[in-house]
Amino acid sequence: MSERMKNGAASEYALEIENLNVEYHVDKEVVHALNGISLKVKKGETIGLVGETGAGKTTTGLSILRLIPSPPGVVKGTIRVMGEDIGSLSEKQMEAIRGKLVSMIFQDPMTSLNPTKTVNDQIAEVIRLHDKIGKKEAAAKAGDMLEMVGIPRDRGVEFPHQFSGGMKQRVVIAMALACSPEILIADEPTTALDVTIQAQVLDMIRDLKKQYNMSMIMITHDLGIVAEICDTVAIVYAGSIVEYGTLEDIFNRTAHPYTVGLFGSLPNMDDRTQRLKPIQGLMPDPTNLPSGCPFSPRCPRATAECFAKKPELQNIGGEHLVACHLVKEG
Amino acid sequence: MAEALLEVKNVKKYFKTPKGMLHAVDDVTFSINKGETLGVVGESGCGKSTTGRVVLRLLEPTAGQILMEGQDIAKLSEGQMRSKRKEMQMIFQDPLASLDPRKTVGQIIEEPLKIHNIISSRAERQKRVLELMEIVGLAQRYYATYPHELDGGRRQRIGIARALSMNPKFIVCDEPVSALDISIQAQILNLLEDLQQEMGLTYMFITHDLSVVHHFSNNIAVMYLGKIIELASSDELFAHPTHPYTQALLSAIPVPKLENRRERIILKGEITSPINLPKACRFASRCLYATKQCFGEEPDLKEIAPGHQVACFLKDKPD
Ligand SMILES: Nc1ncnc2c1ncn2[C@@H]1O[C@H](COP(=O)(O)OP(=O)(O)OP(=O)(O)O)[C@@H](O)[C@H]1O
Ligand SMILES: Nc1ncnc2c1ncn2[C@@H]1O[C@H](COP(=O)(O)OP(=O)(O)OP(=O)(O)O)[C@@H](O)[C@H]1O
Ligand code: SF4
Ligand SMILES: [Mg+2]
Ligand SMILES: [Mg+2]
Repeated sequence: MSERMKNGAASEYALEIENLNVEYHVDKEVVHALNGISLKVKKGETIGLVGETGAGKTTTGLSILRLIPSPPGVVKGTIRVMGEDIGSLSEKQMEAIRGKLVSMIFQDPMTSLNPTKTVNDQIAEVIRLHDKIGKKEAAAKAGDMLEMVGIPRDRGVEFPHQFSGGMKQRVVIAMALACSPEILIADEPTTALDVTIQAQVLDMIRDLKKQYNMSMIMITHDLGIVAEICDTVAIVYAGSIVEYGTLEDIFNRTAHPYTVGLFGSLPNMDDRTQRLKPIQGLMPDPTNLPSGCPFSPRCPRATAECFAKKPELQNIGGEHLVACHLVKEG
Repeated sequence: MAEALLEVKNVKKYFKTPKGMLHAVDDVTFSINKGETLGVVGESGCGKSTTGRVVLRLLEPTAGQILMEGQDIAKLSEGQMRSKRKEMQMIFQDPLASLDPRKTVGQIIEEPLKIHNIISSRAERQKRVLELMEIVGLAQRYYATYPHELDGGRRQRIGIARALSMNPKFIVCDEPVSALDISIQAQILNLLEDLQQEMGLTYMFITHDLSVVHHFSNNIAVMYLGKIIELASSDELFAHPTHPYTQALLSAIPVPKLENRRERIILKGEITSPINLPKACRFASRCLYATKQCFGEEPDLKEIAPGHQVACFLKDKPD
């Protein structure tokens, strides 16, 4: 890791993604998972990445860690972490970044936990991977991390299967935070949890984020979670960002027909008798995307132009970007 | 006055486990009116699915009565139950796991019609299958495809068509939209609502999604460790949640709005094991208001307002 990255002096942004394209070449088909997405995350800021199954959210997260398997993955575009282009780094330099500068929490805690090791040992291992400290010291720090996520340190001698789902997820969070990363990528971190436990875990993530002044990418399909912990939001549809802005832009000045459709699909908590307004149809096939606007086959407002030409993201005021032929500034 | 289709009285379901008896469902009593929906919510493992399966007698109750239009189906013989079962169907969370992968969409929907010998002519059966596909919004061209070739929303439509093939009166919907994307969820929820309207169906709707259950149900039962701890109309429950667990549960819903954020109640403490339960309120270990009484006795469900029942000792807890 270069000095510049450690100090992060080069940029006010912790993360900058420019024109990221990811394809997966499987058999004779090409899955167009990401089609030119760009986004920026300031230091200490949380961005919500919202989209449905297959939109490309996890692919975005893995790209930031340079963990897209190749083959089948083909990645193009620029990703800067703390100002440094990760495309130019060696694999060895990348290893030093993973877990240290950038950490990722996966949806299923068991993908990150080893069933044959005690939770304390697993956290200590991550710490020793990046910090040159002794075993004892690492074990003590692992205990601190457990306490920080609300698990008594004496339970560190237990194995993952002895923990409930919420506790396992908290261990994974402790592991992800053990080296105080600058950027935390949380991929649906609470989807598998009960609401009351989800509330606990989200509360904790929010507190820790503040305490460490981390930047965070919250991957989720739950607009409620977005409202609670994000500063900015990118709505992703079929591998493209279709709307991008602050919380207020997305929630109170909703502009893209897809985002409007997402909100319409949610039950109205103030009036339970109000009928849902679902989006018709299904996500397009990522191996055969529509040539115009990716949303055009499902869009209630689509015109001939929408089927012919893919709309670019355009600024419609402040930092609110929308990719739709019918939504214009003002 | 609406008429009850289903009355469940003091039903229990215990499972034998190496560590002792597991009280999956422990003395639940509720009823569902014809054409209405009872929502059942509560955290993972609280006994929602087990309640649904026992009510359909897919599992034998350990004790209790299950009255379907006044008749106790817990007492029916195997044979009697077989014909009764046509009236009582189930829709599952994971349609793929509940559908035979070697059968085509047409065969899957046709199967119950064949097994129960409802329609013996092959041509008539096919006609009925196509009709059912239309009702649930599945295009005819999927007749000969396999479920794994379809997306989750369409698979769920197969599950619904299959359940409808028997002209049921009552359907247990066990997390029918939990595995689906938001936009597809809304499509399926609207479909279930329309079917209820058109066919006068009665639903038991199991979910952990509180905003969905609020929208979809006339009444809601909140379960905790095998017990119903609060039961009220959907509007009443959300307006006046009274059990401390219900209060915490509702406060934990992430609301997709920026205005009027509510104060969250964060629960601490360990969940009590459903095996070898102490003689105490099952929620006491996590309750913010628990008193000595709560650790020494178990509260019964009591009516605190017309149609609103709560199992909690606390009388003067905050609103
Ligand atoms: N290793 C892979 N090989 C082939 N295709 C892949 C691979 N990983 C992802 N894809 C495809 O790329 C697209 C984007 O997938 P991704 O996992 O990023 O979506 P997602 O937004 O995270 O979805 P979900 O909400 O289901 O997690 C999908 O069409 C997916 O099937
Ligand atoms: N066949 C069985 N043998 C032993 N225990 C069982 C069996 N089926 C369920 N249980 C237990 O009964 C309890 C209730 O389970 P149930 O599946 O009804 O919960 P649930 O509320 O549907 O949970 P979820 O939201 O996770 O689906 C749990 O403790 C479960 O482990
Ligand atoms: S560009 Fe056209 S099709 Fe796309 S969202 Fe806008 S109106 Fe709909
Ligand atoms: Mg994903
Ligand atoms: Mg269940």
